[in-house]
Amino acid sequence: MSGPWVEKYRPQKLEDIVGQKQIITRLEKYVGEGSMPNLMFTGPAGVGKTTTALALSKSILGEYWRNNFLELNASDARGIDTVRDRIKNFCRLKPVGAPFRIIFLDEVDNMTKDAQHALRREMEMYTKTASFILSCNYSSKIIDPIQSRCAIFRFAPVKGEDIAERLKFICENEGFDADDKGIETIVYFAEGDMRKAVNVLQAAASEGEAITEESVYEVVSKAKPQEIANMINKALMGDFLGARTLLRETMVLQGTSGEDMVTQIYQEVSKRVVEGKMEPDFYIELIEAIADCDFRIREGANPRIQLEALLTKFI
Amino acid sequence: MLWTDKYRPQTLDEVVGNKKEKKLIMDWVGNWKNGNPQQPLLLVGPPGIGKTTLALIIAKDFSEYIELNASDKRSQDVIKSTIGESSSSRSLFGDEYKLIIMDEVDGIHGTNDRGGVRAIGEIIKNSKHPMILMANDFYSKRLQSIKPKCTVIKMPKVRSPSIRKALKEIAQKEEVKANPKALELIAKKSNGDMRSAINTLQALADTDKVLEPKDVENLRTKDDRSDIFNAITGVLKSKNPQHVREALRVDEDPTLVMEYIAENIPREYSDKNEIKKAYENIAKADLYFGRARSSRNYGYWKYASDFMGIGVSSSKKETYKKFSKIQTPSIFTLMGRNRGKRNLRDEIAEKMTQKMHISHAVGISMFPYLEIMFKDDELAWEISDFLELDENEIKRFRKKKIPKKVINKMEKQKAQMRVEERDRRFEELQNQMMNAPEEIAIETEESIEEIPLEDNVEKEHTEEEMPIEEEPKEEADNAEDEKPKKKTDKQVSLFSF
Repeated sequence: MSGPWVEKYRPQKLEDIVGQKQIITRLEKYVGEGSMPNLMFTGPAGVGKTTTALALSKSILGEYWRNNFLELNASDARGIDTVRDRIKNFCRLKPVGAPFRIIFLDEVDNMTKDAQHALRREMEMYTKTASFILSCNYSSKIIDPIQSRCAIFRFAPVKGEDIAERLKFICENEGFDADDKGIETIVYFAEGDMRKAVNVLQAAASEGEAITEESVYEVVSKAKPQEIANMINKALMGDFLGARTLLRETMVLQGTSGEDMVTQIYQEVSKRVVEGKMEPDFYIELIEAIADCDFRIREGANPRIQLEALLTKFI
Repeated sequence: MLWTDKYRPQTLDEVVGNKKEKKLIMDWVGNWKNGNPQQPLLLVGPPGIGKTTLALIIAKDFSEYIELNASDKRSQDVIKSTIGESSSSRSLFGDEYKLIIMDEVDGIHGTNDRGGVRAIGEIIKNSKHPMILMANDFYSKRLQSIKPKCTVIKMPKVRSPSIRKALKEIAQKEEVKANPKALELIAKKSNGDMRSAINTLQALADTDKVLEPKDVENLRTKDDRSDIFNAITGVLKSKNPQHVREALRVDEDPTLVMEYIAENIPREYSDKNEIKKAYENIAKADLYFGRARSSRNYGYWKYASDFMGIGVSSSKKETYKKFSKIQTPSIFTLMGRNRGKRNLRDEIAEKMTQKMHISHAVGISMFPYLEIMFKDDELAWEISDFLELDENEIKRFRKKKIPKKVINKMEKQKAQMRVEERDRRFEELQNQMMNAPEEIAIETEESIEEIPLEDNVEKEHTEEEMPIEEEPKEEADNAEDEKPKKKTDKQVSLFSF
């Protein structure tokens, strides 16, 4: 009985958090002092930003943490007005059973500059009653005034050995056999993303047999958008319209994000060059285009348009 | 007097060009005259090419005509009261027909002219009189329901040599000493609009009766905010930066125009290097639209506009001679057709957001793994239970329903675990809160326990603690034989912190 393992095995205490030792040590000091400044957690997906924020809030707020903790996702809360209203309503009340209240705002880098400026004012207004924990993938997308009001913690991708250890712990707990090769393969594909590693592990485990290199490969290839290779083939054969249609269908129907598409395309072509199915010169040309596309998407361009342009480089 | 009226052609023969169309119109008039009712005529084409002229010529063949203009407010009532009656009741005086002429049918506007399009549809249906409708934009949404009920005559722009010829004739009659070069320039700059060309001629030559090229040169091209199709055609078919700039002066969201250009690049250009170059320009335009959005500096739009306009147009070596139809971006139809699927996806993502502290995007990125996990019946049940997915949402991950047997088994297991969990938490509470103030006391079979609660705690807090107070009673009732109901499941989360 578990539901998703990513939730079941989310560390509940600061000391259980894997692979961010230095950060945790500093945060534990705040817990000891019973106060904390505004914090900003930056780093790639799946390295423990949300987990740390939750665990820290629980430790510092104590028993009644739920009443004094507000979690908002900036990219889902429709518009800054919703965010502000909810923050305002939350901060208006005095903290109950805790020294102050904590607002955890996830994916702040998805907020517009205007919204960030508004947020900054909220942060100033409630300094006495509330502390903010902001989390984002790229601190470069956060306006300076907010950055200067926060203690910034940079989360690194989780080290392979740490992921492996955690995966083994889960296997033991769930009564699964996993050979080292299998775990290694998951670690390779996870690229420092613990959430991804645990998802792959649970998916592989759900297939019923022991976790081996093969079973992991199978899961990873099944979980990939199926049409990527097909799309690339079409583009390579000069059928740009066909490739473009596949791209659009994958993004609209599967809801695959632009960043995932870029990763998939990268993995597909780099597999081909290693297997000798693609000329290195052409490959490097493509890499430049892929890298450009990746950068532009993160900068805020329309992912689909950028990917369509990327596809033309294959024809 | 306006020269456009003075020199308006009076007979079909005088009308320039449009041979096939003229024949169609003559047949249409002839049939009406023989008492043979016809569908309304719908003349479609850009302004100033002679639609009104044609209509007025046709009107001469009928005893009377009623003209409605675009500037009239066209609420249903106005249309009905002015022509509704005359259209459905024939004149008492023999079989004389009244011709109804209605201009700029596509100009009927949504809010101001509520029901206008429907009213026209009705009038067309009931009319016993000949009708001529005129419109500018063949692709206008407002024409969609009208088009099938009409004989549609599409009229092209007037070619510039024809305009020049007409201008020359008028100049002679008005005794203007016009330099042929000047006339040619006017003709070109009029962009196929005969009326504007004649008006320009009159404006420039009316007073001193002389016209030189220099008079015309500083004349701006007719400010013709073209529709989106003209804009795309301008970009794809031209290599002249000035034309491209003008073509892009449309009243549309520039990112929409970009989508249209991108859609049609591979349909128009066939050389792969041209497609690459053109699409790279689209990508750059998009980049600057993005930068404008995130920095709120809309001055960047001008760069975006040049990338997608001049950049795309100059990516081709030669203008293609072929004709390719401008198509609506397939992404819009794709998204429209799959709205249901996308809504379902977002609903699931929303549930994941609430239970798993993740954003929609991260939730959606987990779907492929969920699909694999859902192949296992028991795990499928567990996850659905955890996320509170309904049947329809479960179907997103597996085609087959979760077998009843598995559901029953899992629910029993869960009830069992709840009991254990409850005992555990109960013990914890006992140990933790022995010395807290007595406020709420509840009774259980085993012991009398004190659950301390501060009196000023908020509602959410009480909700949080409620299940613990209630459960012991419930446990006594349900004990082992009863399956827990969905509602009670929700209250106790095994995964709460």
